Order: sequence, then structure tokens, then C-alpha cells
Amino acid sequence: MNPLIEAAKDGLTQGWLMGGMTIVFLAFFVAWSLWAWAPFNRKSMEAAARMPLDDGFPARGDL
Amino acid sequence: MSTLTSASNHSGQAESGANVMTFDADDAMVKKFILASLTFGLVGMLVGVILALQLAFWPANLDLPWTTFGRLRPLHTNAVIFAFTGNFIFAAIYYSLPRLTKTPMWNQTLSQIHFWGWQAIIVSAAITLPLGFTQTHEYAELIWPIDIAIALVWVVFAINFFGTIATRKVKHMYVAIWFYMSMVITITVLHIFNNLALPATLTRSYPIYSGMTDALVQWWYGHNAVGFLLTTPILGIMYYFLPKSVNRPVYSYRLSIIHFWALVFIYIWAGPHHLLYSGLPDWAQTVGSIFSIMLIAPSWGGMLNGLLTLRGAWDRLRTDPIVKFWAVAVSFYGMSTFEGPMMSLRSVNSLSHYTDWTIGHVHGGALGWVGMAAFACFYYIVPRVWKTTLHSLSLATAHFWLATVGIVLYIVAMWASGITQGLMWRAVDEGGQLQYANFMDTVLQLMPFYWIRLVGGLMYLSGLLVMLYNIGRTIQTSGSAVVAAPPAAFAK
Ligand code: HEM
Ligand code: HEM
Repeated sequence: MNPLIEAAKDGLTQGWLMGGMTIVFLAFFVAWSLWAWAPFNRKSMEAAARMPLDDGFPARGDL
Repeated sequence: MSTLTSASNHSGQAESGANVMTFDADDAMVKKFILASLTFGLVGMLVGVILALQLAFWPANLDLPWTTFGRLRPLHTNAVIFAFTGNFIFAAIYYSLPRLTKTPMWNQTLSQIHFWGWQAIIVSAAITLPLGFTQTHEYAELIWPIDIAIALVWVVFAINFFGTIATRKVKHMYVAIWFYMSMVITITVLHIFNNLALPATLTRSYPIYSGMTDALVQWWYGHNAVGFLLTTPILGIMYYFLPKSVNRPVYSYRLSIIHFWALVFIYIWAGPHHLLYSGLPDWAQTVGSIFSIMLIAPSWGGMLNGLLTLRGAWDRLRTDPIVKFWAVAVSFYGMSTFEGPMMSLRSVNSLSHYTDWTIGHVHGGALGWVGMAAFACFYYIVPRVWKTTLHSLSLATAHFWLATVGIVLYIVAMWASGITQGLMWRAVDEGGQLQYANFMDTVLQLMPFYWIRLVGGLMYLSGLLVMLYNIGRTIQTSGSAVVAAPPAAFAK
């Protein structure tokens, strides 16, 4: 086949691939952000943030 | 498994002795890893200084095969990445993982095999590299028998690591553990696939990939070795030790989760930015550049999370060296993760590639981010595991300034010499001929910068020596403080 058409076809496939990936990545990103900032997660997020301080070991100034 | 809320009932205050869990066996491993990291850090950075001298003053190659730049350079990179940084990461994980999971490391024998195996690998690297045995892949120079040993020891560590997680007594896995996990998994895959080779003799092998495929696999490995040894584990360490150091929770836990997933998702694709203008298909180069630009977002998210956690402790910035080290480490992380994406743009890379600009970028990350984070952790951990107080706060502050000024001298000199090189190489005269066709023309211009870099490197190394002295004196008073005694680093 004409190499130019061949190249255009490849370009098209790559365009679709990258477009598809962009959409998938974006969807994951949005979903994760919504989950992280969801009101029902508030308490557990705040508790998780304190984990290093609540590990039973004195932090700075306590040792 | 206790739930998070029940775990957080005792809220971070100093607790009565009976409530405080101890992990003496794991802390003994932490001590060993710290001493190993300090020893090899000294060796690796000393070799770095020798390299810097050789570039400024060639007779320092000593005219011996074993001491030439070409053999010492991989010795430097392997020592600082796998021995200094590697042992530092292991120390921090053996310290923080049991505390975050409220569970001792899964198997003490595996811990011992991990430690001694890793040191044996380092020693064999230090012998084979100067002798000239190499696979010639950057950061994967070690010959195949050592590669197999690395794989085995790494698997031992992975079993111990995941065994601890599987038997943990706290349900939620704090974000630091996720960052550690990404390192354990990714490095396994990278190391195995980049080192697939057919052995011919004990010291020689042939890679199963050839040509461009070899280059692509190599830089997929090289870039992610930077990503999953010099970046993600250190970020995990930041998320545990930085809040501990300022005694307040991380600024945004939600952001840390987004930071983690976005970073590991994107990092893996960025390798081709090391192969711009190479034989790699254009589209693959473009993918590498695009993902590198996208990396700014999670990287700066992490940097901001670190800086904003420190914000509540700005008053301590003036007096507390640990906070100082963290502030500079996080800032340099931000700087190199902005510089890196810029260097991934084809137009910028056409100037920066092959020049000292790359070396400046590397050491902004290595000395500024990895090194300073390591020092912050050593000053934090050493008094705690040796149950004493830091010998001298002012020596730690002196170390901080020596290191900071040293880094600035190093990277500013490399920017200047890199841009000089790049511009001179591309300069053409009116007739379209290269203006500096003689390579020596450019080399001679760089000499002043090489001497400045040497001074910067010497300052950084002197800072390290000051720390070694300080830590040595601290260890001498081992056992003098019990838990719930006066503040550790504030004692003096
Ligand atoms: C006193 C401190 C240090 C000095 C003086 C120093 C010096 C040097 C020199 C002179 C080179 C060769 C540059 C060239 O080929 O033009 C080099 C390369 C390198 N160093 Fe260091 N170094 C130091 C510390 C570190 C640390 C702590 C790390 C990592 C944690 C590190 C990582 C590297 C890497 C990855 C390379 C190879 C860069 C590349 O190929 O682009 N260095 N260093
Ligand atoms: C968003 C983050 C980053 C991006 C996009 C990035 C991008 C780049 C680019 C484009 C190069 C030059 C490739 C070339 O022209 O050959 C490079 C080299 C390098 N970078 Fe980064 N960088 C980032 C962060 C970091 C960090 C934080 C560190 C260290 C802790 C680091 C360590 C290195 C090393 C060691 C090299 C030299 C590789 C070699 O031997 O050629 N980078 N980086």
C-alpha cells in the first residue's frame, strides 16, 4: 500500500490509543478524587492522617 | 485487627511505659542499616569528590586502570544509590513499618539475611567494578551472578515486608506503606526484566534485547529506578517522618492518596524522555514527554503536602535542624520535579542532553532531596533507637549549612557549565560551520565550573563527616535516656 496512507493509518490508531488512555486515566483520577473527598470518608481520612502520631511511640518532644 | 478508631484512642501523647510497644529486634536491624548507610555514604561520596577532582584535574586518574574515571564512576553511582540510599530506605522501613502496623517484622531470620545479603552484594560490587567487570548498562552495571544475588535478597525482603503487612494489627495501611509497596513491587519487575541475559562466562553475559529495544528497556529501568528508589520510598518516608518530626498530622491525607496513585500511574510511562532524538519511534518519545509534563502535578502535590505540613512548625525552622533538613529536602524535590519535566521537552533536551545540566539535575535530586531527607531521618532515628539524646544540636545545624551551601555551589556550577557546553556545541558561524569544532574548545571553558563543583562536593562531604562525628558521640551515650525522658534533639 502507499506508505503515506500506511503512516496515516498508524497515526490514527495511535491517536485513538492515546485518546482512550487519556479518558481512562482522567476517569480514574476523577473517581479517586471524589472518593477521597467524599463526606462519608471524612472521619476515616482524619483518623488515617493521625496514624504516625498514634503509633504508641512518642513523637518529637516526647521522647 | 484493631480498627483505626480504637487505635487512635490514645492520642499521640507520651504514654505510660506499659502502653508503649517496643520493637527491640527490629530496632537492632535499624541500627545496622543506619551504620551501613553511613559507611557506604562516606565511601560513595568520597568517590564522588574524587570524580569531581578528576574532571577538573586529569592527573588524578593516577594512570592506573582501577582508578580511572570510567571505572570509578559506576562505583560512585552504585555506592550512593544502592548502598547509601538503599540502606537508608531499609532502615526507615524497618523503623516505621512495625510502628505503623503495630506488628514486628514478620521474620527475624529473613531480616538478617536481607541485611547481610545486601551488604555482601555491595562489597562484591565494590570489588568487581574497579576491576572492570561490567554489563555496561547504566545503574545496572553489575555482572550476572551479582544480579541473581540481588534478585534473591530482594525477594527475601519482599517476603518479610508483605508477611508483616499480612499479619498487621491495624487495618488501614497508612499512605507511607503504599509508597514502600510500590518500591518493593516495581524494583522486582525492573531489575529482573532489565537484566535478562545469556551468561557466557562467570563474568560476561549477553543481553537478550538488542539495539533500540535494549535502549528502551534500559531507560524504562533507569528512569523507574530513579522513580522507585530515589523518589517513591523517600516520599513514603516523608509521610511518616515529617509529621513525626513536627508532631502534627500530614496537611491533607486525601491529597496524599491522590498523590500516590497519580504518581505511580504516570511514572512508569515517562522513561522515553531519556531517549529523545534517538532511534526510538517518534510517538514513543512523545508519550514519554507528555507523561513527564503530567508528572509535575502529582509531584508538586506531594511537595505542597510536605511544605504545608511544615507550615504549622515554621517557628521550629529556626531552631530545629531536623525541620530545616526537611524543608530543604522537600524544596529540592519540588525543584527537580519541575526541572525534569522541562528537560523532557524536545527543544530543551536538545540543549541539555549530553551536558552537565543533566548532572546538575541529578544532584539537585540526589543531594538536595534524597541526601537531605536521609540526614533528617538519621538525626531523628539515631537518638530513638540508641535510647539517648543527640550529642550536639549546633553540629547538626553546622552540617545543615555545609550541605545546603555545598548543593547550591554544585548545581549552579553544573547549570552554568551545562548551558555553556550546549550553546557552544550548537554554535555555527556565518558559513554554517560548527564554530567550536574542536572538542577541547568547550572542555577548557568548563574548568572553572568543575573546580566550583569540587568545592561544593567537598562541603557536602565535610557536612557528612560532621554528622558522623555527632552520631558517633551520640551512640557512645547509648541507653542514657529512657522513653518519656526529656525531648530528644532538644536536650542540648
Ligand atoms: C559529595 C557528594 C557528591 C559528589 C561530589 C558527586 C559527584 C559526582 C560526579 C563528579 C559525577 C560524574 C559526573 C559526570 O560524569 O560528568 C557524578 C555522577 C552521578 N552521581 Fe554523584 N556526587 C555526589 C553525591 C551523590 C549522591 C548522594 C547521589 C545519589 C543519591 C549521586 C548520584 C549520582 C548519579 C546518579 C550520577 C550519574 C549521573 C548521570 O549519569 O547522569 N551522587 N557524581
Ligand atoms: C517529574 C520528575 C522528573 C522528570 C520528568 C525528570 C526528567 C529527566 C530528564 C528529561 C532527564 C534527562 C534525560 C537525558 O537528557 O538524558 C533526567 C535525568 C535524570 N534524572 Fe530526572 N526527572 C525528574 C525527577 C528526578 C528526581 C527527583 C531525581 C533524583 C532523585 C532524578 C534523577 C535523574 C537522574 C539520575 C538522571 C540521569 C540519568 C542518566 O544517567 O542519564 N530525576 N530526568
